[in-house]
Amino acid sequence: MKPAPTLSSAFLQPPGQTLPAALLALRQQRGTALADLPLPTRKTENWKYSSKYLKLTDEIAATLPVSGTPAAAAPGYCAVLRNGVLVSDASNLPAVAGIRVRRFSELSDDEAATLAQRLDGTLDRQAVQLAGLNSARFEDGLLITLEPEAVLDQPLFIIHETGAESSGSAFPRIYVDAARHSKATIVEEYTSSGTAVAMTNTVTEFTLGDGASITSVRLAMEEQNVQHLGATGVRLLDNARFESHCVGFGGPLRRHDLQVRLEGPGAECKLNGVVVTQGKQHYDNHTTIEHIAPHCNSEETYRNIAAGESHAVFNGRIHIHQDAQKSNADMNNKNLLLNNGAEIDTKPELEIYADDVKCAHGATIGQLDETSLFYLVSRGIGRRDANVLLTMAFINELVDQIPVEAVKETAQARLSDFFDQTFQEA
Amino acid sequence: MATTDKEVKELIKREYEHGFVTEIESDTFEPGLNEDVIRRLSEIKQEPEFMLEWRLKAYRRWLEMEEPEWAHVDFPKVDYNSISYYSAPKKKEDMPQSLDEVDPELLKTYEKLGIPLHERAKLAGVAVDAVFDSVSVATTFKEPLEKAGVIFCPISEAVQKYPELVKKYLGSVVPAGDNYFAALNSAVFSDGSFVYIPKGVRCPMELSTYFRINAANTGQFERTLIVAEEGSYVSYLEGCTAPMRDENQLHAAVVELVALDDAQIKYSTVQNWYPGDENGKGGIYNFVTKRGACIGKNSKISWTQVETGSAITWKYPSCVLRGENSVGEFYSVALTHNYQQADTGTKMIHLGKNTRSTIISKGISAGRSSNAYRGLVKFGPGAEGARNFTQCDSLLIGDRCGAHTFPYIESKNKSAIVEHEATTSKVSDEQMFLCRQRGIDPEQAVSMIVNGFCKEVFKELPMEFAVEAGKLLEVSLEGSVG
Repeated sequence: MKPAPTLSSAFLQPPGQTLPAALLALRQQRGTALADLPLPTRKTENWKYSSKYLKLTDEIAATLPVSGTPAAAAPGYCAVLRNGVLVSDASNLPAVAGIRVRRFSELSDDEAATLAQRLDGTLDRQAVQLAGLNSARFEDGLLITLEPEAVLDQPLFIIHETGAESSGSAFPRIYVDAARHSKATIVEEYTSSGTAVAMTNTVTEFTLGDGASITSVRLAMEEQNVQHLGATGVRLLDNARFESHCVGFGGPLRRHDLQVRLEGPGAECKLNGVVVTQGKQHYDNHTTIEHIAPHCNSEETYRNIAAGESHAVFNGRIHIHQDAQKSNADMNNKNLLLNNGAEIDTKPELEIYADDVKCAHGATIGQLDETSLFYLVSRGIGRRDANVLLTMAFINELVDQIPVEAVKETAQARLSDFFDQTFQEA
Repeated sequence: MATTDKEVKELIKREYEHGFVTEIESDTFEPGLNEDVIRRLSEIKQEPEFMLEWRLKAYRRWLEMEEPEWAHVDFPKVDYNSISYYSAPKKKEDMPQSLDEVDPELLKTYEKLGIPLHERAKLAGVAVDAVFDSVSVATTFKEPLEKAGVIFCPISEAVQKYPELVKKYLGSVVPAGDNYFAALNSAVFSDGSFVYIPKGVRCPMELSTYFRINAANTGQFERTLIVAEEGSYVSYLEGCTAPMRDENQLHAAVVELVALDDAQIKYSTVQNWYPGDENGKGGIYNFVTKRGACIGKNSKISWTQVETGSAITWKYPSCVLRGENSVGEFYSVALTHNYQQADTGTKMIHLGKNTRSTIISKGISAGRSSNAYRGLVKFGPGAEGARNFTQCDSLLIGDRCGAHTFPYIESKNKSAIVEHEATTSKVSDEQMFLCRQRGIDPEQAVSMIVNGFCKEVFKELPMEFAVEAGKLLEVSLEGSVG
């Protein structure tokens, strides 16, 4: 057997040195750990279906430059990051008591040391090794702190723009520290400009103190020249609540690992996800919910639609630890396969070590229901419109739940474009 | 369920009743594995050249393979060189021609197991091809089978008598290099059953093989091959017990089923090999490859299994649904107690048009055991109109056990429909309260609830097996409540 190819050393070139010492040291250490990391193959369990899409060529190893004007903007509070670095001119950071949004590079040495200790703390680094490349490469980052009882009155938009005017990668890094009883809605939009081959390698972490409540919305909408390798880690203490809405559009490689740890009794999470792929696109969602404390609830609903020759993957894992009695966990994954060339793979896993729990999962794969189509067509609706209507209905339940109106509209507009392209026909 | 208190108490006290060792002289190889061992094995069995070549090829493949580690089980590594690869009861001149000639010691063993061979054969109309260690010592009811044209014999005999059939089908479903344990089995398989049902024949009786692991340190490597020709039907029963031993014993069997046009094979297993004691000491390692190929149109393969034994179980009876309209079924009850670990499930590979499959899996974990369902449902691009329904339920008894579900679902055909459901629950306080309130003691109540939980699977078993299976669960669950 020939040895598996490893991560090219080009990816481990030291990035810029503008950060406080503690963070530089952390980056260094993570980089060392990644040296000789074998790249995933079909035999790597959590890359089984996606390894063939991953193209970590030296071409994209360089860090994309920060220069250039971001195209994107958002209403209300917004933080615009271009290639991982905050562009202050384009941003409108919230001025609310108890809430601070700062760049990692602005932190004092003490604060940076504390942060360095906490970074990656929400993630199972073994499971997200590749996304963890971010920890070795982030150029800067955004630390969002919510003091106890602080409430963000409007959603904060974080616009991640990967500027692919030249080849390379962007490494955006966000850390949200929500203290006791704080509350916020955070929207992350991933976009791209330029046409060169590029990658977004992003990590976002949330820690929620007692009773804190965070709603996260994540839109992955980069163009077809950009690979996306992302991870989100969440830690919840007593009675905290995390709600996530992910909408993903396919691309050359799209990978998102979402890991939630319910560490305090009474914590709960709700994870919604919609993925659409067409052409030769790919999308892979891996979610993990760790029930560590008793009396926690989790609810997960993911829907995939694959058209053309695309490939959508879902892997959801619920892990109930031994002391997590009285856990409730519910996972549901439904998939729509629109064409014969497309492929959907799903793996809803349960790993349970406590007996007094209620856990269930369901998964289906199928096509649009012929009788429903017939019903619509027989009432004078064109076949194409009927297809669009039924496909939209398949995911609308989830899109409708997105709590931020502006995002919901963006998502709906993008989705309807997608369906237009998918159902182009006579 | 009119069990009295006394009976329950006896039940609780009962140890693994099949744990005894029969003293018979064994003709056993020195532990170790190399090409010479395989040559000797093949020579003893007087195998034709092609068989030896096949074994050696498999052995060379095996040497290059790595032991898989993906299963959700944890056990000390097996030292393949500390195992003896052949053990046969001492022959008297020739192989016995009829039951009368069989070593009375052996017959007594079966009696202790509750399978008086001839009686059972007569009463139940079952022909038993009993495997004691590695050589088949007795085969009954050959005559009526021969009349129907059915071949039911030890595979070592088939290799000599029907080399063409063996050559054609052996390894056609599970190739020698399929996986680590299948390769090992292909290299050193000792014996097993061969069944051939000719065209249009409905096998006149249920065929059954009782396996029994005896002499210590002897790995058993059964090889079973069942071929059902066009329009034929066969029901095959497999049941297992093993003596109580402290050292772990390896068991790596391969079962291959081939169903041609309109043929049906029903394969039922009750497995209660020694699971180790309550401290997790001893017990059998059971690493089995079972696979059926529905090659022909409208063919059907149905697996039913009740697994209560073995320290480690690693077993995925599968169906490759190649023929149009072919059907695959998998019904399973897997119970683990004490320190048992099971990673079991099925694979349904849909390749042909309008193929259908059903998976019903019931996992029960008690004590400190771990019980995982791992399954694959796959629709190839040609699986037009294919359909699968999967239901995996887990029941936890006690707060130190684990129940896991790892289903893989892959679809490349839009008209294929798959539905998968899984639930995990425990014997609820409400259920217990209801039973207790009606004067049913806890042990019995649990047994009743568990039996209800498994009913869907038990009803698929042949009658004799269904009764045995219910009883087996009861015994296996002893001491799990209160």
